[in-house]
Amino acid sequence: MYAYTDFDRNFVRARAAQFRNQLERNLAGTLSDDEFRPLRLQNGWYVQRHAPMLRVAVPYGELHSRQLRQLAHIAREHDRGYGHFTTRQNLQFNWIPLVDSADVMDLLADVDMHGIQTSGNCIRNITSDALAGIAPDEVVDPRPYAEILRQWSTLHPEFAFLPRKFKIAITGAAEDRAAIAWHDIGLQLVKNEAGAVGFRVLVGGGMGRTPVIAQEINAFVPWQQILVYIEAIVRVYNQFGRRDNMYKARIKILVKAEGQAFFDAVNTEFGRILTLDEGGREHIIPEAELARVAAHFVLPKGLQAETPRDIFEHAAPAYRRWLERNVHTHRLSGYRAVTLSLKRSGVAPGDATHEEMDAAADLADRFSHGELRVSHDQNLVLPWVREADLPALYEAAKVNRFATANIGLLTDMIACPGGDFCALANARSIPVAQAITERFDDLDALWDIGDIDLHISGCINSCGHHHSGHIGILGVDKDGSEWYQVTLGGADGSTLSGAAAPGKVIGPSFAADEVPDVIEAVIDTYRSARQSGERFIDTVRRIGIEPFKGPANAQRTLTSNKEGSPA
Amino acid sequence: MKFVHTSDAALTFEQWQAARDGASGPVALQITNDFDVEQLAGELSRFSRIELVFPKWVDGRAYSQARLLRARLRFQGELRAVGEVLVDMLPLLARTGFTAVQLRAGESEAAARQALDFFPGHYQGDTAEHRPWFARAAA
Repeated sequence: MYAYTDFDRNFVRARAAQFRNQLERNLAGTLSDDEFRPLRLQNGWYVQRHAPMLRVAVPYGELHSRQLRQLAHIAREHDRGYGHFTTRQNLQFNWIPLVDSADVMDLLADVDMHGIQTSGNCIRNITSDALAGIAPDEVVDPRPYAEILRQWSTLHPEFAFLPRKFKIAITGAAEDRAAIAWHDIGLQLVKNEAGAVGFRVLVGGGMGRTPVIAQEINAFVPWQQILVYIEAIVRVYNQFGRRDNMYKARIKILVKAEGQAFFDAVNTEFGRILTLDEGGREHIIPEAELARVAAHFVLPKGLQAETPRDIFEHAAPAYRRWLERNVHTHRLSGYRAVTLSLKRSGVAPGDATHEEMDAAADLADRFSHGELRVSHDQNLVLPWVREADLPALYEAAKVNRFATANIGLLTDMIACPGGDFCALANARSIPVAQAITERFDDLDALWDIGDIDLHISGCINSCGHHHSGHIGILGVDKDGSEWYQVTLGGADGSTLSGAAAPGKVIGPSFAADEVPDVIEAVIDTYRSARQSGERFIDTVRRIGIEPFKGPANAQRTLTSNKEGSPA
Repeated sequence: MKFVHTSDAALTFEQWQAARDGASGPVALQITNDFDVEQLAGELSRFSRIELVFPKWVDGRAYSQARLLRARLRFQGELRAVGEVLVDMLPLLARTGFTAVQLRAGESEAAARQALDFFPGHYQGDTAEHRPWFARAAA
């Protein structure tokens, strides 16, 4: 993984010092709360329901055990002992007092971490495939490019105050594990017929109250020019994105409104930067720079291909299930990637205590050369596990409840922190997630249901990605109480899910207590309608959402199914 | 960075259009942040100063205008930030081509100067240093 240079390290220290100065001016009353707000946001500090929330950047999801231990330390010493891994591969703390915030930034800087641009109307932390660099279906390793993009986007002076937040996702594999079509910019590394590497560039995707799938703006931008191309996109957005209405300020609205005119403007701007601007060609990435960064993303020291083995040989049933769900194929012979499930009953999806963070760091040291990944699905992944070590890892993971064999299954759900923590939320996510987890606590039943994406958001901001869930649950507020809208048929763009698409609503909103019954009715409908071997999403695609509506709406005990009930 | 403390006279683009034929000597121009600065190509030498406006400090359009005026149109005169200009904008202003600021009333000039001094360098190139860090480090 990437190792900080002295420049990187001094930069993050400088950022921490700058933040301390801003905090001190705020506490001294010379920087008002309103004016401090955008500044602290760009360092990851929100003010939430109970306390400030800190979102720590985990660039493209790569995390070292040393860093995870420091996060555990911060959780223990400054928070209430836990953190929350997010769909954007970051980690959030919920209970750190703002007066401690500058000290925490120093602690993060000690391990080359920060909260730069994890919030605010700027280019956010760039996300990628959790299996980048290890997946067998990879065409090009996206991590060196993600790191170059991270550096370029960090404190970009022209793009710090965009109309709205701006999210970039990058993948280099055949399978899209980064949901790139749901991003403001989605980047897919490809090779052209001549074997040259470039980017297929998508633009204008996003969730929120107007879900939009990104469109292809360019089928092939040579990798050397990608920074310039993105500069062109963001400059056009900065100039023409709407600023009169925050709900219409994302680039998706501009792309939808302008269509081809937007594409033309970007492509013209791209050409003008390269031909007219003083210094306009300086951001063409030289081979040497790619090589310098790529040198960080080689195999960990001492690791080499081994003779593959039949990992299922003599596997007992529970172990076999874990192998099938939580263990993934690897590009290197004799190795596997292993997901440590953060989805277990009684715990909010993606949450980890400080003990669990320390334990995961220990597992990473013991089994994965100290490296971990945070996945888009809010789990941790050990990227470098020897097949020979799988039995020992399984036993060790069980001790810390990381071995729930549910990856990709119903209880491996995505959920935002919701109304328990988030000041934006209309409704709580965690109790709904837990009620569903308890309802489907039988592993046999979960296995029978098979692959399914269940996504829960506590409000329309869609941090829980409800739009892209095969089953989506959205918290809505009506007259001050919590209601939940259920959608079916959403897709993140993976092979299993099909082309990215938002789900469709199956009826008026449900009461919280009805939700587990509704999900069960939906699942029962699928089980009786499915053809042999057909997965949930395929059944929904084949029969549509109509057959699900009756059984789902029959579960109402608290709400009315009539028009005019809360929706 | 020059700090100015009072507003100086400047023409709007409409006033400039009416006056341009009769005007002699350098002129100060103030443009709104939705103005396409590339319209000024060809007559930039007639301006001694261009003022770019921040109606709200979190509205970042003028950063792009400044960058284009410097990098694309090679404007050589003073670029002044006016409007809601706050201390913590200084690093961004300095790096997008501004050479003068009129801070909002009540802002501390000392704090603004200090805000310019936190970073040893930056990753991406800007109007002051065209080369990104990787190009400088390799040189």
